[in-house]
Amino acid sequence: MRLILATVALAALAACSGANNASTSKNTTTTTTAVTAAPSPVPSGQVVKIGIDLPLSGGDASVGISTEQGALLAVDEAQKEMPRGFTLQGEALDDSVQGVHNPEQGVSNVRSFISDAAVLAVVGPYNSNVARAEIPVTNAAGLAQIGPSVVADNLTIGPDAAQLRRANPSLNTFFRVCTTDSRQGSALAQFARSLGFKRAYIIDDNETYGLDLADRFEKDFANDGGSVLARDHLAKNTQDFKSLLLKVLAAKPDVVFFGGVTSTGGGLIRKQMFSVGLGKIAYMGGDGLADLATVAAGQADGSYYTLAAPNAEKLPAAQAFVKAYRTKYNADIGPYSANAYAAAQVAAAAIIRAIKNAHGEAERAAVVANVASTKLETPIGPISFDKYGDVTNPVLSLYGFKNGQSYFIRQIQLKL
Amino acid sequence: MIYLYFLVAIAVVIAAQRLNDLRAKRVLFLLLGAALLCAPLFDRNDATFNVLADAGIFVLLALGLNIVVGFAGLLDLGYAAFFAIGAYAYAMMASPQFNLHLPFWLLLFLAAAFAAIFGIILGAPTLRLRGDYLAIVTLGFGEIVPQIFQNLTKYTGGPNGIGALDFPSFFGRSFGQSTIPYYYVVLALIALALFFAYNLRDSRLGRAWMAIREDELAARHMGINTTAVKLAAFALGASFSGLAGVVFAAKLSLVSPDLFQFQVSVLIVSMLVLGGMGNIPGVIVGALVLVLVNNVVLPQANTIAASAGLHVDFGNYHFFIYGAILVGIMLFRPEGLLPSRQRKEELHHAAA
Amino acid sequence: MHEFLAQLFNGIALGGIYALIALGYTMVYGIIGLINFAHGDVYTLGSFFALTIFTALGVSGELHGVALIVDVAIALIGAALLCGIVGVLIERLAYRRLRNAPRLAPLITAIGISFILENAMQIWKGPAPVPFPAVVPNPSIVIAGVAVGAQQFLLVGLAVVMMVALQLFIHNTRLGRAMRATAEDRDAAQLMGININKTIMLTFLIGSALAGVAGFVSGVYYQSTWFFNGFGAGLKAFTAAVLGGIGNIAGAMLGGFVIGIIESFATWKFGGQWSNVTVFAILILVLVFRPSGLLGEAVYERA
Repeated sequence: MRLILATVALAALAACSGANNASTSKNTTTTTTAVTAAPSPVPSGQVVKIGIDLPLSGGDASVGISTEQGALLAVDEAQKEMPRGFTLQGEALDDSVQGVHNPEQGVSNVRSFISDAAVLAVVGPYNSNVARAEIPVTNAAGLAQIGPSVVADNLTIGPDAAQLRRANPSLNTFFRVCTTDSRQGSALAQFARSLGFKRAYIIDDNETYGLDLADRFEKDFANDGGSVLARDHLAKNTQDFKSLLLKVLAAKPDVVFFGGVTSTGGGLIRKQMFSVGLGKIAYMGGDGLADLATVAAGQADGSYYTLAAPNAEKLPAAQAFVKAYRTKYNADIGPYSANAYAAAQVAAAAIIRAIKNAHGEAERAAVVANVASTKLETPIGPISFDKYGDVTNPVLSLYGFKNGQSYFIRQIQLKL
Repeated sequence: MIYLYFLVAIAVVIAAQRLNDLRAKRVLFLLLGAALLCAPLFDRNDATFNVLADAGIFVLLALGLNIVVGFAGLLDLGYAAFFAIGAYAYAMMASPQFNLHLPFWLLLFLAAAFAAIFGIILGAPTLRLRGDYLAIVTLGFGEIVPQIFQNLTKYTGGPNGIGALDFPSFFGRSFGQSTIPYYYVVLALIALALFFAYNLRDSRLGRAWMAIREDELAARHMGINTTAVKLAAFALGASFSGLAGVVFAAKLSLVSPDLFQFQVSVLIVSMLVLGGMGNIPGVIVGALVLVLVNNVVLPQANTIAASAGLHVDFGNYHFFIYGAILVGIMLFRPEGLLPSRQRKEELHHAAA
Repeated sequence: MHEFLAQLFNGIALGGIYALIALGYTMVYGIIGLINFAHGDVYTLGSFFALTIFTALGVSGELHGVALIVDVAIALIGAALLCGIVGVLIERLAYRRLRNAPRLAPLITAIGISFILENAMQIWKGPAPVPFPAVVPNPSIVIAGVAVGAQQFLLVGLAVVMMVALQLFIHNTRLGRAMRATAEDRDAAQLMGININKTIMLTFLIGSALAGVAGFVSGVYYQSTWFFNGFGAGLKAFTAAVLGGIGNIAGAMLGGFVIGIIESFATWKFGGQWSNVTVFAILILVLVFRPSGLLGEAVYERA
C-alpha cells in the first residue's frame, strides 16, 4: 500500500511540474494542426545556442566528429563578435542510434532544439535521409537549419522539396553550404569527358548520396557523348568486390565511376581493381572519395574526385581554418570539417546580425531571414543562397592522386 | 522533465508488479493511464511527447515480440522485418508514391493484417525447426526484407525511401506536425495491446504456448497442435509489429530501409531479456529503460560529460550496452529484472 | 566461358574464407549444440591481431624470401593463437554457466558477446575500414586464359589443409576421440573419464584459432579489414555450415565453397545488390527443405 501512495505522489509531482513547464511556454499554440509558434525572443544577457545534429557514434562517427569539430570551432571564433551580454554556445546531439545515423533520432534532437528557446539555428544533419525527416519539423517551427553535407537534390528543389515545406510553404528554413548531387554529377561528367574518357562503367553503393550522384553522372556522361557500359550497385557489409570487378574487366572501360564514399566500398573497390587487372584504369567519384588515400594509399594514384569548392590553396580563409583546426584539435581536418565550419559561420553571423538589428533580442524568424540573405567569405569560398537554399556560387574543383597524395587539377563554374 | 515521465511510468509498473492484490494493480494502471492522458494538458512540449510516442512504439513492439519469444518461447531475431512491412505498407498506400491516400485508421488494420500474413508465410514452413535454427531463419528473413525494400527502387524509393507521407487525421482534423496526437494514438494502441496480451495469456491459446515453451514434446502428446499454435503466436506477434510500423512511419513521415536493420531486432530482444521474457510489466519496463538510455541519455551523454569536464565518447558504447545486458542478464538473472513467477521457476528448474 | 571461369575461380577463393570460418562454427555446434554467434567477430579479431603483429614487426609492404616466410608465420600463428585464447575465454565466461540452460539462453549470450566484440573492435581500430599491408606477393598465373592470383591458390590450399588436418585430428587422436564422445553423449563421456570442460575448451580453442586463420587470410587477400566484417561473413559462413550439414567437417568446407561460388555468380548475373539476398534466401530454403544439409544430420525438433 505504501508503494501505491508513493507512486501516486510521484504521478502528482509529474503533473505539477508539467504545469510549471506549461507556464513558461504559454505562447505555444493550442491547436494540434497549426504551426508551432516560435518561443519568445531571447532577452539580452543570455546564452544563445547553435544546435548541432550529426552522427557522432558508430560507423559514421569518423566523419561525424570531425564535422562537429569544424562547427564548434566556428562557434568559438564567433564568440568575440557577439554583442555584449550574449554568449554563443554550440550544443551537439548525436543522431546515430546503435551505430547508424537514424532519421527518428534526428527528428527527436531537432525537436528538443526547437523546445529550447535559446537555440536560434541548427547545423546539420550529415545524412540526406535524416534531413528529409527533419526539414518538415524545422520548417514548421521556423528555425533555420544549415546542412554542411547533405547533397540530395530533392531536399531543396522540385515537388519532393515542396512536400517537405508543406507546413509552411512560403518559408524556406533549410539551407546548405555544399553542392547538390546533380551539380556534382554534372561537373564530374564534364571533367571525365575533358580528361578524354569515353567508356564508363558506373557503380554505386546503393545509398542515397551515391545512387543519386551516379544517376546524374550516368545521364550527363551519355549526353556529353560518352558511352555508359553498365551500371551496378554494391551489397552492404561485404568486402569482396572482385566478382563485380571481373564484370567490369570484361566490359573494357577506360574509367570506373563510383557513386559513394570511401568507407562504403569506394576504397576497397580501388584496391581490388589492382588484383583483377584493372589497376591501370582510371577511377573517379565525388567528394566522397576525397579521403581515398587513407584506404588505398599509393593505389589511389590514377583516381579523381571533385570538391564543391574553389581550390583551397588559393583561399586565405581556408589556410587560416586548417591551421586553427590543427591548433585546437591536434588533428587533420575531416572531409566535411570546412563545410561545417562554414555552416556554423553562416549561422553565427545571422544570429549576431539579428541581435544587433533588434537591439538586444534575437528571434528565430530574423535569423532565418538573415541566413537567406547571407554574403560571407568562408574556407569553402564565398557563400550566398538562392531562394531554395542552395549556394549560388557553384564552383567545383577537380582533384587527382599522385604518390598517394591528392593534388588540384582545375576548377569550373557550373552554369545554373 | 522527460526523465520524470519515464521514471514515474517505470516506478508505477514495477509497483504494480510487486502487488498481489489484483484490484490495487488495476487501480494503479488506471491512475498511470489517466496521468499520461492528462499530461499534454499541462505540458505542451512537442519534443517530450515525440520521445514518449517513440517509447510507446517500442513498448508496442516489445509487447508483440513478447507473445512470440516470451509466451511461446520462439526466438525471433528478425522482428524488425514485420515493423518494416507495417511502415512500408503505410508509406506506399498513404503518400504521393502511388498517389494512393488511404486513411491512417484503415491502414492500421490493413498493415497489421499484412504483417500477420507475412508472419504466417515465414512461419508455416519454418516453425517445425529446432529453436536455434528458427532464430537463424528469422535473422535471415530480417536481413532480406530491408534489402529488398532497398533494391526495388521503383516501388519503394530505394535507399531514399518514401517521404512526405500523409498526415493522419481524426474527424477531419489533421495531425500536422504536432506529436501529441501520435502520443494519444500510441497510448490507445498500448491499451489495446495490453488488453489482447493479458487475455491471450490467460486463454486456452496462452496456456498452449506456455506448454510448448516448457516442453514441446509433452505439449504435443497432450494433443496440442503445436504447429498451429506456434503459427498463431508468430502471426499475432507480427501484427503488433505491423501496427507499430504504421504509427512510426506516419509520425516520422518517412520510411527508409536503414531504419529496420538487425540492430533494431536485437534491441527489442534486449528489452525482453532485460525486463523479463514472458512477463508483461517486465517487458514494458525493459522497453522504457532501453528507450530512455538509447534516445535520451546517450545522445546527450557527451554533452553532459563534457560539462562535467570529462571527455568520454559515450555514444560509442551502444552495442556494448546491449551486449552487456544480454550476457549479464542471461548469466546471472535469466528471468530478467522483473520476472513472472512462473517463468522464474521454469528457468531455475531447468538450470538445476 | 572466359568470364564464367574467372567468376568461378573468384568464388572458390571467397568460399575458402567462408569455409575456414564455417569449420569453427560446425565444430562447436557438432560438439555442444551451440550456434556460436560471436564466431564471425572472432574472425574479424583475427585480422586485427594479424595487422597488429605486422605493425609490431615493422612490416608495411610486400615481403620476399625468408622474411616473407618468417613474418607471415609469426602473424598467422600469432593471430590463430590469440583468437583461440579469446574463444576459450568466451566459452568460459559466457557459455559454460549456461551449458544446461534452455537452448536459447546461450544463443542470446552469444549475440551479446558478438555485440561486445564489435564495439570493442570499433573502439580499438575506429569505425572506418582499416588498411592492411599487401604482405604476400600476388603474381598472376594464367589458367585457360584466365589470370588467377597466386594468393587465391594459397588461400584455397590453406583451407583444404586445415580441413584435412582437423578431420585427421578428430578421427585419429585421443583428444579427437574425446571430442566425438562428448558430442555423442556428454554424460556418458564424463563417466568414461573424459574431462568435459577441457574437451569443450579445446573445441573452442581450435574453432576460434581457425577463425583467426581466416581473419589473417582475409586481411592479406583484401588488404583491408573492418570491425563489422564479421557480421556478414559470419552469417554467410553459418549458411555454409548449414548447407554442408551442420556438425559435419567436410560438409562445412563443401558448403563454404558452394556459398562463395553462388555469391560470385549472383553478383555477376543479378548484380551486387542481390548477392546477400541470394545467400540468405538459400539459408532459409535449405533449412526449410533440407535441414540436414548436403552431408549432415536432421535438425527438426526431436519429437
